[in-house]
Amino acid sequence: MPTYKGLLARGAGAGAVAGLLAGLVGVLVVEPPIRAALAVERARPVEPGAGHGHEELFSRGTQVVGGVLAAVVVGVAVGALFATAYAGSRRWLPTKPPFVRAVALSAAAFGAAALLPAVKYPANPPAVGDPGTVEYRTVLYLGLIAAGLLVALGAGHLASRLGRLSPPVRATAVAVAAVAAVVVLLVVFPATPDAVPPDLPGAVLWEFRLASLAETATLWLGLGVVFGLLVDPATRRARVSAG
Amino acid sequence: MTSPAHPLSVPIPKWAYAVALVALTVVWLVLQENGIALGHAAETVHEFFHDGRHALGVPCH
Repeated sequence: MPTYKGLLARGAGAGAVAGLLAGLVGVLVVEPPIRAALAVERARPVEPGAGHGHEELFSRGTQVVGGVLAAVVVGVAVGALFATAYAGSRRWLPTKPPFVRAVALSAAAFGAAALLPAVKYPANPPAVGDPGTVEYRTVLYLGLIAAGLLVALGAGHLASRLGRLSPPVRATAVAVAAVAAVVVLLVVFPATPDAVPPDLPGAVLWEFRLASLAETATLWLGLGVVFGLLVDPATRRARVSAG
Repeated sequence: MTSPAHPLSVPIPKWAYAVALVALTVVWLVLQENGIALGHAAETVHEFFHDGRHALGVPCH
């Protein structure tokens, strides 16, 4: 019988592992387009009173380490939240084994907290972004994540409400409802106020955006897979019988 | 209440809400804090985690 404490420890541990993996993806995949975007930023004429001078405060090497550390710290915190959601998720795929439930829950969290905002408000590298609109953009970004999490929660409720339907019909109905809700969110939420500056090559922009998505996918799905391995009793049984 | 082979939900103690609050605060400090809680020191935090904020897709400056 798992306890909340046990789940919490596994969530934090799985989050640390997933965060480290995501941080490595960051160094190997996200850093090249960040460097290219910083070069574009540096080539611009300096405006008086503008910019926030990140070159002076920390070296590039320190910021790369900071990027990995950010992923690890966020991984541990998100892992703790994930474990809490998992502990309370009675309706989430009740007939499936813990590993499948954990991976599916992390896929839903990735969809709501990373993929949905990446579609509506794609990540931007340095050299993009008006500091004057950052608060508005942050509200839009967090609002869309919150709405996406509500859609995931609602999908779980709907699935349990439709318990009388056959599993394929129920899965189809829940998927159609979730997709419809996501489309409504994408239409209703206003567009980002910032334009991409013309001096940033589109290839750099999209390399960065896809790389960023690879890092968030590694974080969330890594968390689900490692957490699932840690909580599923079948993992340990197999290990015992193999050893 | 039957007890299946894999118990579906685990009793969540009251202190779990405190844990969730701490976790959300940590995520906020690393990814979002721009001066509301830390004032001037926020710029140091912002710059140290700068690459992480961009890479994780958070709106940044």
